Amino acid sequence: MLKATRIFPSSDSLTLEGERLLEPILKTENLWKVYRQGKVEVPALRGVSIDIFPGEFVSIMGPSGCGKSTMLHVIGGLAQATSGRVLLDGNDLTTMSDSARTLLRRHKVGFVFQRFNLLPTLDAYHNITLAQHIHGNGFDPHRFQVVADLLGLSGRLNHKPSELSGGEQQRVALARAIVSEPKIVLADEPTGNLDTKSSEAVLGLLRQLNQDLGQTIVMITHNPEAAAYGHRVLHMRDGEVVDGSSVH
Amino acid sequence: MIRYMITQNVLHRPLRTFITVLAVAVEVTLVIIVVGLTSGLLSESAKRIEGVGADIMVQPPQASYLMAFSGAPMPIAIADKLAQLEYVQAVAPVLTQFNTSGIEIVYGIDKASFNAVTGGFVFHEGHDLRGLDDILVDDVYAKSKKIKLGQTLQLFNHDFHVVGIVEHGKGARLFVFLSTLQEMGGAHDKASVFFIKCDRADHTPAVTDEIKELLPRYEVRPLRDLMSLMTSSNLPGLAAFINVMIGIAVVIGFLVIFLSMYTTIIERTREIGVLKALGASKGYIVRIVLSETTLLCIGGAVAGVGLSFLMSAIFIKLFPTLTILITPLWVLRAGLIALVGGLLGAAYPAWMASRKDPVEALAYE
Repeated sequence: MLKATRIFPSSDSLTLEGERLLEPILKTENLWKVYRQGKVEVPALRGVSIDIFPGEFVSIMGPSGCGKSTMLHVIGGLAQATSGRVLLDGNDLTTMSDSARTLLRRHKVGFVFQRFNLLPTLDAYHNITLAQHIHGNGFDPHRFQVVADLLGLSGRLNHKPSELSGGEQQRVALARAIVSEPKIVLADEPTGNLDTKSSEAVLGLLRQLNQDLGQTIVMITHNPEAAAYGHRVLHMRDGEVVDGSSVH
Repeated sequence: MIRYMITQNVLHRPLRTFITVLAVAVEVTLVIIVVGLTSGLLSESAKRIEGVGADIMVQPPQASYLMAFSGAPMPIAIADKLAQLEYVQAVAPVLTQFNTSGIEIVYGIDKASFNAVTGGFVFHEGHDLRGLDDILVDDVYAKSKKIKLGQTLQLFNHDFHVVGIVEHGKGARLFVFLSTLQEMGGAHDKASVFFIKCDRADHTPAVTDEIKELLPRYEVRPLRDLMSLMTSSNLPGLAAFINVMIGIAVVIGFLVIFLSMYTTIIERTREIGVLKALGASKGYIVRIVLSETTLLCIGGAVAGVGLSFLMSAIFIKLFPTLTILITPLWVLRAGLIALVGGLLGAAYPAWMASRKDPVEALAYE
C-alpha cells in the first residue's frame, strides 16, 4: 500500500503516476441508516456511497439534521448500519459483531468530538495515554513525545481538563485520537465549541497532522471556512451526499 | 492505568466515597463485633470453667457444656460414688442457677469439696461463706456493679449478704452455699455438675472411662478439651444467629455498593461512551467498575476493622464483664464478606455500563 501524503482523488480509485491502483481506506456502498421512533421510521442516511483515500483530509458539510453525525458514527463503527456496506481498511463493518467493531475502533479509528470529551478526572497526560492503554500495546514514549510536541502540549500535560482552555482541551483530544496511530481520524465538529482563534489553531493542527504524519482525516462541520481546510468537501443534505467537489 | 483512573474517580466525589466506605465499615464492624461478642462470651465461660481447676466435669445426659443453659439436676448421692473411684482425689458437687436479670451464673457450692478441687479462693477482701445468706462475688463483678463488702445483693428475690470479694476465674462470678441454692430452687439433694480432681493429671483418661462405665448416659468431659469445644460454630443456635447477622451485613453492603455504583455509572455515562469510542471492550469497562468497587470495599474493610477495635474498647469500658474476641480469622472473613457483597452489588451496574450504546452515551447530558 502506498503511503500517499498529497493526493486529490476525485473518482473511486486512481492511478498514481500511472503505476499503481490506490485502494480507498474507507469505502461506503449504498449506506442506509434508519432510526425507528415509535412506529415511524426516520432515514438518517439514504444510500451514501463515498470513498476516502489514504492520506486524504475530507470535510463533510451540511446543515444540522442532514445525517452527517450519523454518517460519522456508522463509518467509525459506533453505530450499526441498516443496510449497505462500510469497508474500513478492508473490513466490512456492517457484518461485524459489536465486539468486533469495538476492536476495530480500538486499532483503526481515532475520534475527536465537538465537546472534547476528555475524562474529567484524569490529567492531560493520562487522557492521552489512556488511548494507548486501551489499544493494548502499552505505553509508547516515543510516539507520545512526537504527538505531544506536534500539538504543543508538553507544558500542559499535568493539568486536568477543567484547568485547560477549550483550545487546549481539543488539542489533548487530538493527541488522544492519534497517539495509537489510527488508520483514520473522525472529527465531529471539532471547532464547534471554540472561538475563532482556537478554531484556526485546531484546524491548522489537523492540516499539519495530515501533512506531516500522513494522517487520514474525515471532519464534519457546518462551517464553510473550516471545511475549506480539507482537500475536498462532501456536501450532505437529507441523508445523501449531493456534491463531492474538490475545493482545491 | 486502571489503578490511576479508579483512584481519581474515587477522589473525584469524596462525599460519595466517604459514605460508601463508611457503610462497608459498618458492615464489617457488625460482623466482627457480633462474632467477637458471642465467641468472647463462650471463651470467657470456658476459661472460667477451666479456672475451677478440675480435670473432669460430669453433667446430666444431654446437658450443654454451657452450664447456664442446662437444667435437670442430678442426685447429689452420685458424688459419693464418684469419690470412691480409683485415682479420684476430690469431687465437688455444684448447683448452677442462671440469674436472668444480670445474665450471670450463680454457683451453689459445698465449701470443703469446692476448695479441695479448686485449691480455694483468693480473697481480695472479706472472708469465706459462713452464714446461709452469705454470698461471694468476684472482683470483676464487684467492680462493674460497684458492689461493696457488706452490702446486700438481691438475687432470685432473696437478700444475700456480700461477705467476700474473690479473684475471678473459678467457674462463676457469684458463689453461695449449695444448700441455700438447693432450697431456693426446690432442688433438694441435687447438683447440676460434679467437678472432679484426679490425683494426677495423666490419670484423667482412665478416670473418664471409669465414670462413663458407671454413668453410661451422662456427659463426662475432660476439661482440657473444653476450650476447643467453645467455639460459636459448635453451638447450633449461635451459629444460626451469626449466619443471620452475616446475611444482614452482606445485604447492607450489597445495597450500598449497588446504589453507589449505579448512580456513579449514570453520572459517568458520557465517559463510558468515550471509553467505548476509544475501543474499550465490555470486559475493560466491567474491570474498571469492579476495581473501583474493590478499592471502596478494601477501604471500608480497613476502616471497619479499626471501628471494631474502637467499638470493642468502648463496650468493654461500659460493660467490664463482657469479653469481645476479635480474631485475625474473623477480621479476614469479615473483609472477604464485605468484598463479596460489594462485588455482587456492583455486578449489575458494571454490566449495565458495559452494555451502554456508545452513540447514546456520548450524547448524554
